[in-house]
Amino acid sequence: MISFVSNHKSQLKMNCQLCQEILEAYQEGKLPAGMMTQLESHLETCDSCKKLSEIQLLANRVIKLEKETDSDPFLATRVMAHIERFEDERLKTSSLGVRISRPALITMSLAAAVLFGIMLGNLSRPAGNAGMVPVEFALINDASLESVDFLSLE
Amino acid sequence: MSGIFLRAYFRNQFEMNENELIKLILQGERDMFRIFVEKYRQMVFRTCMGFVHNKEDADDLTQEVFIHAYRSLPDFKMKSAFSTWLYRIAVNASLNKVRRSGRISFIDWIESLFGSESPGAGQLFDTNDPENIIIKKEHSQWLQRALDSLPEKQRTAIVLSKYEDLSQKEIAEIMKTSEGAVEALLHRAKKNLREKLSGRIPKKNK
Repeated sequence: MISFVSNHKSQLKMNCQLCQEILEAYQEGKLPAGMMTQLESHLETCDSCKKLSEIQLLANRVIKLEKETDSDPFLATRVMAHIERFEDERLKTSSLGVRISRPALITMSLAAAVLFGIMLGNLSRPAGNAGMVPVEFALINDASLESVDFLSLE
Repeated sequence: MSGIFLRAYFRNQFEMNENELIKLILQGERDMFRIFVEKYRQMVFRTCMGFVHNKEDADDLTQEVFIHAYRSLPDFKMKSAFSTWLYRIAVNASLNKVRRSGRISFIDWIESLFGSESPGAGQLFDTNDPENIIIKKEHSQWLQRALDSLPEKQRTAIVLSKYEDLSQKEIAEIMKTSEGAVEALLHRAKKNLREKLSGRIPKKNK
């Protein structure tokens, strides 16, 4: 904006709109000398632009004061204390998880091992009539069998 | 052990690359984060001050910003400077604070009801001698009302420009937009501010 205006200053006439546009640059001391003179002449004759210039100066002073306010010097200590608490809580939560999950894992492993053992045992037993005595063996009378002593006589 | 590191790096903090510091913090050297807090404390505070205009609120916000930054450090991809990332967090936290306080909507509602000129500098104090006026709390509130009336993007651009003296390029990087867009935002913001500060209600624009 400023470079455009300074390049075309011979063609531009100072008016309120232009004055308001370049007022900030004027207050910051960034205007070329010729344009500064034009603006100052305008401010002497235009009450509304003069008032705006004063208002802007005041606003800049308020901003400068706020910018120069110091932050809390103990901020770093407060922030680090908060971070310590945050990390401690995170550590507690993660160790609680470990304290619960480890025994649960061991218990589940044992239960799985027992179940696996039972399944293996069931697989090795003969299927169908397992446990039932065959009909032929049920008809045998133990009393009618020769004694072992008879068999051993030669 | 971390204390030894901390003392050494306080002495050589500007020699160490910030990204290397961040990597150390993520590896567990959390005391190193204090270096960032000390280095950027005033920068974040000034940015927050530009939005809330109150030291106590700005201090609380600054603390909130650094705590949020620490918790979000694993998400920082190092594609931009740490300061740029921190500015974004500060701006978002400040805008959220202002939204929560409901200040903007109340002012807009009052102005829409009455539709008359809001109090400008002339009604608040004598502007014939601006150099010698003692700045008081009501002057801050006068400026605050004017800034709060701006749309958020215009307000962000003007705060970063006026309170942090950032260039348009730096503001564009923080706001993730183009330099041209920032120039337009600043132009509109300054025009609206002039009207608001002098007591004329600006037309609503984006």
